[in-house]
Amino acid sequence: MAMTRKKQRTTMIVGGLVVLGIAVAIIATALKDTIVFFYTPTEVAEKSISPTTRFRLGGLVEKGSVKRGEGTTVSFTVTDNAQTINVQYTGTLPDLFREGQGVVTEGKLDRAGTFIADSVLAKHDENYMPKEVADSLKKQGYWKHTEDEKKQPES
Amino acid sequence: MKMLWALLKRDLVLSWRQGGGVGTAFGFFLTVIVLLPLGIGPDAGVLQRIAPGGLWIALLLSVLLSADQIYSTDYEDGSLELMTFGAVPLEVVSAIKSLAHWLTSGLPLAIAAPLLGFLLNLDTSLVFPLMGAMVLGSVGLSFLAGLGAAVTVGLRRGGLLVSLLVLPLYVPVLIFGISAGGAGTAGPDITAASFAILFAITLVILVVAPFGSGAALRAYMR
Amino acid sequence: MARIEKFANPTRFLRLQEKVQPWLAAITALLFAVGLYYALAKAPADYQQGETVRIMFIHVPAAWGATMVYAFMALSSAIAVIFRHPLADLSAKAAAPIGAVFTFLALVTGALWGKPMWGTYWVWDARLTSFFVLFLLYLGYIAVWQAIDDYHRAAKIAAIVALVGAVNVPIIKFSVEWWNSLHQPSIMSSSGSSVHSSILIPLLIMVAAYSFLFLTLHLLAIRSELRKRKIHQLQLAQAQKV
Repeated sequence: MAMTRKKQRTTMIVGGLVVLGIAVAIIATALKDTIVFFYTPTEVAEKSISPTTRFRLGGLVEKGSVKRGEGTTVSFTVTDNAQTINVQYTGTLPDLFREGQGVVTEGKLDRAGTFIADSVLAKHDENYMPKEVADSLKKQGYWKHTEDEKKQPES
Repeated sequence: MKMLWALLKRDLVLSWRQGGGVGTAFGFFLTVIVLLPLGIGPDAGVLQRIAPGGLWIALLLSVLLSADQIYSTDYEDGSLELMTFGAVPLEVVSAIKSLAHWLTSGLPLAIAAPLLGFLLNLDTSLVFPLMGAMVLGSVGLSFLAGLGAAVTVGLRRGGLLVSLLVLPLYVPVLIFGISAGGAGTAGPDITAASFAILFAITLVILVVAPFGSGAALRAYMR
Repeated sequence: MARIEKFANPTRFLRLQEKVQPWLAAITALLFAVGLYYALAKAPADYQQGETVRIMFIHVPAAWGATMVYAFMALSSAIAVIFRHPLADLSAKAAAPIGAVFTFLALVTGALWGKPMWGTYWVWDARLTSFFVLFLLYLGYIAVWQAIDDYHRAAKIAAIVALVGAVNVPIIKFSVEWWNSLHQPSIMSSSGSSVHSSILIPLLIMVAAYSFLFLTLHLLAIRSELRKRKIHQLQLAQAQKV
């Protein structure tokens, strides 16, 4: 305790910064797996989630998979271009729900591996453009989903 | 080192002899736990699902409400002013006082809370994971409560302000505390990762809160 | 540094503020007029969102503004703590209510956009939660100024509160990248923007409009704060005479 005030302060600040550095390192290594708003079909397959757990499933609605049943019952397939999961849902769908677009559903898996959803939210990507531009991009074959490319390397 | 120990012992003995600290916080905790099922309804399944969250919220409210005692008596009788001129820097003083607060209210509550989970029909397999997460998380809760108490020490009606300032900072502890306790998550590796992050958050709080408290106390002493 | 010192002198500041005020106000009005016209009338409907995309022209600049204003407030607080500059405290104090309003605006417009597009007004994902916390931090900061009577003490305590809360700013920024979130990722990245120019340009005009709105209101708020303190001092002096 023979330190001067100034030395004390410096020791405290250096010590504090070292601890903060450790904390940042831990967060950087552990963050990826934790707070996910939703799981992708690949993650669901890897983590073998039990049928009793409620969770959110997110991905793209596979092209041509949407089938309307009786009343407001809909079934479709959610894909992340690697794995797919069948989803069943009864209720109203949001405006942005389209084939090939992002979707986040909440519910449970049943024994057969079908996801019984009780809520469906549409996920919008960060692309904004007028309709004509989108159409001409599609025609020229430049169309791509930036979202798919971004999510793939992580999972 | 000796001085630090003397400071810690002083705070522990004071809180023991003054009474009212742990007991009141504990009573408050129980009251919240009782109000919850009355507000939600008696559905056992629903209660079981919200039990970990309910216990966490009761825990952080109780820790927060017992916070103003950390500095108030020392501020009123002038011993806090003496400490500003002492050999131990105010940052260290506030760290020790927050530690004493954790030992006398955060830790006992964190151990008791999961055991009282039966009142909310808590899944028994979750009791010990929840206890582990709460013991770790309550360190951060106590230190943040200490920061809130330091920032409002000279104010007559600081209580409401403390809640407004500290509760938003409790959000990360609550989020990762919940998943570190194994509730609402989909797998054991997520629980482990959440635990690691809860630990990292605690480290950040352990650094930031004493510096903030020290600066705040100095502002009030001048 | 010497030049900043010159402008930061309260008397000089007041003189300068008086000169630029009408210009700033005029530029703000002009930018909003042009920006809103393009945003609401001229910009094309989005290929997926349709007309609802127009909410974005209000929402995105408000959200950016809210985050930037908090960063600015924390920076001012840091300058106040480290260099003890007389205007830095005032600058932080004056910025807070403006930032709080931007945050509120972003929350409300976001919810209104979310209902038709996502199918819900609100979800507790990382971006929305951290943004809600930002609103609470603004409220707490403003409450500190109101709760403490002594100006210099209030300034110090408020600065501590602002600096501690600043950890939330990077969390807001990166929340959509670190975690799977319902909120779409940022439209700006190192490789450019994912927004078509016909939508991006009105958006950027709106960003400029918000920035100038902040500048105008901020300088005005500092001015009235300086005046208020002057009046307070005069009242005290008068009371002492009697």
